[in-house]
Amino acid sequence: MVTGLQKQVLGLYRGFMRAARGKAPEERRRMEAIVSAEFRRNAAAVERKNFMYIEYLLRRGARQLDQLKSADTVALSTFTLHRSHSSSDDASSG
Amino acid sequence: MALRAAMLRHLRLPVQTLTLNRPIHQSWFFGNPTRSMSSHGDDHLDREEVIERVLSVVKDFPKVDPSKVTPDVHFQNDLGLDSLDTVEIVMALEEEFKLEIPDKEADKIDSCPLAIDYIINHPMAG
Repeated sequence: MVTGLQKQVLGLYRGFMRAARGKAPEERRRMEAIVSAEFRRNAAAVERKNFMYIEYLLRRGARQLDQLKSADTVALSTFTLHRSHSSSDDASSG
Repeated sequence: MALRAAMLRHLRLPVQTLTLNRPIHQSWFFGNPTRSMSSHGDDHLDREEVIERVLSVVKDFPKVDPSKVTPDVHFQNDLGLDSLDTVEIVMALEEEFKLEIPDKEADKIDSCPLAIDYIINHPMAG
């Protein structure tokens, strides 16, 4: 049976995995492994009826996901800069 | 690294499009006229193809015993997966069929039959 709280946890997990999709393959695998381990660790360690603590973990996770997404934007601008460098290299060499 | 990812993504697209379109084009050009008329303007994927690709995604999932995978299996009851694995499988299906399944729908997909039905009925599945 899936409760509302469980749906929120799964939704957060999906959010993290979606965020990982935007990364380079190695970084993506690393992030997926960390996220998966963290969710499974808490699933095993946290008492199912400890709603207060689960809600706290959900809020903390949502905040971390937001930070991750804004870090994404920084990474994207770095990528653009790097690409414009390499394309000018290509132009001068070819 | 990011550049490699971008390149890999580009490399993969044409391959998938080719394998997807080849049988359809063949039936348009060489198949019988009735069939080509009925499939004209219909971009929906063939049911058999959807089933085959869904099963191959599920079989490729690291924790799954491929010999247990049939079109009828339930991810948790039959394959011993947990709810987090189910989220991962549904996301792998999104990538395979180039879809983004909304959370509300994704929450309901917990078996091969539901995944197959969802994808067959999705107009954007490719």
